[in-house]
Amino acid sequence: MFKTNNVASRIFERQIRTPAPGTSVHSARRFYENLVPSFTIYDVECPDHSFFKFTDDGQYFVCFSRNRQDLIVYRPTWLSFSCKGEDCDNNQELPPQAKRFESFFTQLYVKPLASCNELICKDFFLYMESNQYGIFATSTAQIQDARGTDGAILGVPSFEKITIHLFRLEDGFKLDEKVFHNDCVNLTHNMGAFLYDDLLAVVSLRYQTIHILQIRDSGNLVDVRAIGAYCREDDELFLNSSSQLAGNRGDLVDNGTNHDQPNSNNSFLSGIKQRLLSFIFREIWSEETDQTQRVQCLKKKFYFHFQDYVDLVILKVQFLDRHHLLIKFGSVDVGASRNTDQLPAFFAVYNMETTEIVAFYQNAADELYLLFERFCDHFHATSINSMYMNFISSHSNNIYALEQLKSMKNKATSVSQVLISLSEVVTSLPFYSFLVYLWNSLWIFFLIRILPGMFVKKMLSSLPLNCQSMSPSPYFDQSLFRFDEKLISATDRPRQSTDHPIRFISRRQPNILKFKIKTGPEFGGADGRSKKYSHFLFHPAWPLALSFIQPSLFLPPSAVNIHFRR
Amino acid sequence: MGSMLGNLPSFDPHNFSQLRPSDPSNPSKMVPSTYRPTHSRTLPPPDQVIATEAKNILIRNIYQRAEEKLRSKRAATEHLIPEHGCKQTRPSTS
Repeated sequence: MFKTNNVASRIFERQIRTPAPGTSVHSARRFYENLVPSFTIYDVECPDHSFFKFTDDGQYFVCFSRNRQDLIVYRPTWLSFSCKGEDCDNNQELPPQAKRFESFFTQLYVKPLASCNELICKDFFLYMESNQYGIFATSTAQIQDARGTDGAILGVPSFEKITIHLFRLEDGFKLDEKVFHNDCVNLTHNMGAFLYDDLLAVVSLRYQTIHILQIRDSGNLVDVRAIGAYCREDDELFLNSSSQLAGNRGDLVDNGTNHDQPNSNNSFLSGIKQRLLSFIFREIWSEETDQTQRVQCLKKKFYFHFQDYVDLVILKVQFLDRHHLLIKFGSVDVGASRNTDQLPAFFAVYNMETTEIVAFYQNAADELYLLFERFCDHFHATSINSMYMNFISSHSNNIYALEQLKSMKNKATSVSQVLISLSEVVTSLPFYSFLVYLWNSLWIFFLIRILPGMFVKKMLSSLPLNCQSMSPSPYFDQSLFRFDEKLISATDRPRQSTDHPIRFISRRQPNILKFKIKTGPEFGGADGRSKKYSHFLFHPAWPLALSFIQPSLFLPPSAVNIHFRR
Repeated sequence: MGSMLGNLPSFDPHNFSQLRPSDPSNPSKMVPSTYRPTHSRTLPPPDQVIATEAKNILIRNIYQRAEEKLRSKRAATEHLIPEHGCKQTRPSTS
């Protein structure tokens, strides 16, 4: 595309040459190789807030107050200063007025979000770019011994009140809210909700319902449907009327409101559980043509595990497009915990319009992994409106990310290959006994079956993906820069920091360092041993980044640095 | 050279010296060749509308695989619905 690396000649070249079809965004992004955040202001004096995130269009910077009651929104600006004197251009030092937090951010407003007994969930934020609406969540404290109420499953914690707030970020005006009582929604890192265009899906773990809400342009949150015990809007009416006729629901009290949830006294399962079980049944049924074989197959694969299938609970949900949901099922003790990597997980693709399950993938299914490997972008489910969200590097749209994935996969299989050949050597030794043979066959079984499965499971444990969890900053574009993924990446989580600066090396000119992010002066002496965590926030479009150094994950940051292009 | 472009500087003035720009008094004898189809087998139907597929490639793939599984066991699925039409699962007969 560009022949030289000089930014002025690149601009001239841009005037006379059009990029190859379909590559206009990539071609524009190459200018980020020239404009890098190479200058750092260390230890900036900033207000004591919990800084959270830039919105994906870079218009707002969202923070919460330390006591998690208020919302504070800043507008990112660029610093401007004037200096007096003869030799201003060659000044190495910035004037002190320029080194303040307020030079880069203008406070727009402070609004109270949570009432007295509630706290803001400081890991939850969704941004609707088309209307500049922000979605926040507050919740009360967890109720210690939650009674099992009608329809609620046991084993899941309960919160007295969880509220989802819809705010207009331009002026901080609260537009609407949706309240969940005595419920549990997993709000950390946007896990329990997913925003696609104007549709918001919220998973109520306790009542096992997926609430689909629509955000109207007027700012109202409208209930579209609730998938769980009922699939269609009129299912409840139909089931109630037919059961009254059949008379087998006499033991249930008709409250006259809603939530006439099925319990174990009912003669049948309804809603999404019924759809799921019938899909599994039909899939197993259609595998065999012989009648007796079929029945044997069913007994082994379906009826033997029937109660396990019935006990599956909805854990997480994401949109694949406007009509399709990817639902993760698992066991109830996983519900509130975070470490779900090694536990069995089942995935189903559900069509909301036809209320049919389209596909069901059992634990660590290779088929789902292949789809994830080839079409990772489509799992991110970005709406058509936000163009740049489609250019976040993933292993489906970037050859370097794909190479990394392949090398990880090869490592997982090659370790098993090496050990298989090693164990074969051992078994061929003249003095092997039956016990050694048994040990080796178990070992080989483990290597052939379990180890590659563990890799697939690890990759699939990130599904369904968290909404808006990756930063769209072009500095994370793998085709522009190479950087150490363990130290910094597009998903903004606190990581253990190192004393060495994080290097961003250009891809196109190998081994040429473009810029470094250094999180602090070289630590030595007294600080040497203590572990520190660092956390980065990159502006989506500008060469501006913030880094936070925390002594531990639960304490506020001890230092804030600003990295920008001077 | 009497060129339409005037006396602009050029690398070699003898380039394009053979070229005579077309003028109305001396029409060129070259006629651009035209190609006409000899049959109408490949004409699109008159009411054809080309539109973008609404489902994205991932969803299309998922549906395709589901259909493939069903198609390969088509004989089995014909016996799926029992004769009475009720949807109760049959107890095992063995």
